[in-house]
Amino acid sequence: MRIRTIALLFLLFGILAVFSLAYAQNAPEASERGKEVYENSCAHCHGVEGRGDGSAAENLLPKPRDFTRGLYKIRSTEAGQLPTDQDLFDIITEGMPGSSMPEWETALSTNDRWEVVAYIKTFYDGFKENENPPKQITLEGKISYSPESVDIGKELYVELGCVECHGNVGRGDGTSAPTLTDSWGFQTWPANLTQGWTFRGGPDTEDIFKRFIGGIAGSPMPAFEGDSFLNFGLTSEESKRLIELENKDEMTEAEEEESGKFYEKMDAAVDIALTIKEGGEVSAAEIQTYNDAMKIVYEKSWHLANYVKSLMPEKQPEPAIGNNVLRSQYVQGELPDFDDPTWETFKARYFPLVGQVVIEPRQFNPTIDGVHVKSFYNDTEVAFLFVWDDRTHTTADETDETTGKPLEDALAVQFPVKVPQGPTAPKPYFLWGGRLPVYLWHWKASMPEQVTELTAKGINNAEAQEVQGELEVKSDYTDGQYKLWVKRALKTEDKKDLQLDTGVFVPIAFSAWDGSNGDVDTKLTMTSWYTFVLEPVPSSRRFIYPPLIALLSIGLLFGLRAFVQRRNTEEV
Amino acid sequence: MKTYLLASLTLLLACCYVGIVGITFAADSDAGEMEMLIFPENYKPMPVSNGGTISGVVKFEGDKPEMKVLEITKDPKVCGATEKYDESVVIGEDNALKNTIVYLIDITEGKDFDKEAKLEIDQKECKFTPHVQIVPVGQRLTMLNNDRVNHNVHIFSIINTPVNKQQTKTRKKMPLAGVKKAEGPVAVKCDIHGWMSAWIAYVPHPYFAVTNEKGEFTLEDVPAGKYKLGYWHETCGTNNESPAEVTVEAGGTVTQEFTLKLK
Repeated sequence: MRIRTIALLFLLFGILAVFSLAYAQNAPEASERGKEVYENSCAHCHGVEGRGDGSAAENLLPKPRDFTRGLYKIRSTEAGQLPTDQDLFDIITEGMPGSSMPEWETALSTNDRWEVVAYIKTFYDGFKENENPPKQITLEGKISYSPESVDIGKELYVELGCVECHGNVGRGDGTSAPTLTDSWGFQTWPANLTQGWTFRGGPDTEDIFKRFIGGIAGSPMPAFEGDSFLNFGLTSEESKRLIELENKDEMTEAEEEESGKFYEKMDAAVDIALTIKEGGEVSAAEIQTYNDAMKIVYEKSWHLANYVKSLMPEKQPEPAIGNNVLRSQYVQGELPDFDDPTWETFKARYFPLVGQVVIEPRQFNPTIDGVHVKSFYNDTEVAFLFVWDDRTHTTADETDETTGKPLEDALAVQFPVKVPQGPTAPKPYFLWGGRLPVYLWHWKASMPEQVTELTAKGINNAEAQEVQGELEVKSDYTDGQYKLWVKRALKTEDKKDLQLDTGVFVPIAFSAWDGSNGDVDTKLTMTSWYTFVLEPVPSSRRFIYPPLIALLSIGLLFGLRAFVQRRNTEEV
Repeated sequence: MKTYLLASLTLLLACCYVGIVGITFAADSDAGEMEMLIFPENYKPMPVSNGGTISGVVKFEGDKPEMKVLEITKDPKVCGATEKYDESVVIGEDNALKNTIVYLIDITEGKDFDKEAKLEIDQKECKFTPHVQIVPVGQRLTMLNNDRVNHNVHIFSIINTPVNKQQTKTRKKMPLAGVKKAEGPVAVKCDIHGWMSAWIAYVPHPYFAVTNEKGEFTLEDVPAGKYKLGYWHETCGTNNESPAEVTVEAGGTVTQEFTLKLK
């Protein structure tokens, strides 16, 4: 009897322990502390009442989240569900790359972050009203990365219409990209899928999978949940066949019948899915049909996630900080032309760009993240290849409302007119010079085969040079990416031009404009000074002198040893 | 010296406070929210015999706004086959105002929904038809796509769960789950074709009508009694503050005209 009581007590304790553990995963009740932390750390952007309208919100894009509508982008939960407490905690802890939301792990204690989670939830009643915990997306059955999986995913990428917004190769340059707005009516850009490091919810395959199944609430990104998935309820083979039939201009009677059967099957599966969603009753057989259909949806979604993963480099290209020198490589004879495969063999230097916020008009929401640069030179000329992503091809078709100037994409490469002598000599002001002038190449998308040489003593004080040098220029815009090729003589007659010598370290900087983002005049993205050098050709004498010296030294050593030994023996 | 510093600091803080409060209030008054339909808290369906009819016309008053031609920025072959117009105000002959919802605000008992009625929105040539659709709570709305281009159906519900689903080019019919609560009207958009626009009202009773090209509406089988008659138009607003009063007699017909202006 007593043993039973003890056992019962143990059981009770066990249950209690499990419950308290489960509770620890959730945010505490909203408290004064949560309010305090929120108002100190979050309200500036998200607003005192959580409406995303804090004092800093005006200049931010993406806009800070409005917490009053229960729309959360980054969730581990299914379409239309609220996030879990853990989701909210993770976002606060890790921040959102590619937006203004920083990580709070260093600034707020774990406890405070949980308090904020609880407080944020008070802005939307749905958290209270929902008695059931939100349904999480299952990550079981993950299909690991393989070329085969990527190939299947690639097909789906087109069939599901991802291309409409994200573009042919995923640079966020789809034909629908320029007109997208979020649920509050603010402009929003589709993710550039080749830049995983800008994904708000992280670039892991699991992250991509969750965004895909659960959608990105409040944004134009749909949820590819079960019933709306391409040909839901059909096997992969049936789905393929149906697409094949649908793509025919005209179907025969037999084909009509065949596709009709597919549609019937699809309608039945969708009906079950909707009944489940509406809380209606379904039979065991129907649940089986539903589960089979969902299994295919999840499999395909993993393939798609693998494909998206394949579009991005393994890690963010390292900014040219620390090792910040752009080295031009020497070649004998002709320099590689615009489309010469030689360029591919050489690794680019990556220069991240930031919005210009020093002089009005400023750019607080830049869309160009950086420019990749390569360079070759020979005895008389130097060639550069500049590559950067821009979601839209804007060629001065539209004008800026405030300035009346044409909006267009552009790039400027900046050098000092006179190279500073020695590392301590002053460089011109990084923003297009000042007392010390700068020399620029200004390229515009509306004149793709031309570069204008400028001399500037400040960003609002630039002039086209009277004598325009003979620069060879070629460019291309494909799938959301610009390629610009510029070739110039190392030495020119024009005194206002930069003259290039081998082995001399020359400051270099970049400015870029994205016309569709309203970039015009000083509203641009830019870098500070970096360094460019024509890498000296290693002399062929290096094969003669160093070995000779080495041999001599060794000989000398041996001689010395022999000499010492002889003396020693003599003394003994 | 210390007191002086303290005083000026306090003053500064006070100024900041007043400023912040001022800004907050200003923001409050600016927030012009979309006017909504008014629904009864409870509605009980029952058989209606010898009900009355409310009918009438909705007209537009004032300078007629010109219907803007929509810029077709995508899939021009399909979407641009015919010219498309912004349908936020559609005025027919004799100033008839199309797409106005006319409904009973305070009815609590009456007929049940026609469960057989087809609830569809077509996305033909990248345009939603109809522009305003009434959908009973709990019933499924089917989205049609015979365009052979991808659409995405984005319904901006706030009370119900928002919907954002891709309707791929091969998906001719896409039914959507019935919603749980009365709401609306809520905006419908296609993010792929940014100009596409429609409205859905999720309603708890069947006494809702949408005016046709002639501005006409009819509400049938209304149990005899006194009712408040409301309207909603996406650009001209509502009469929520002073709805019309109508008295319906058994088997009789009452008429009611509305004249709407731009807000």
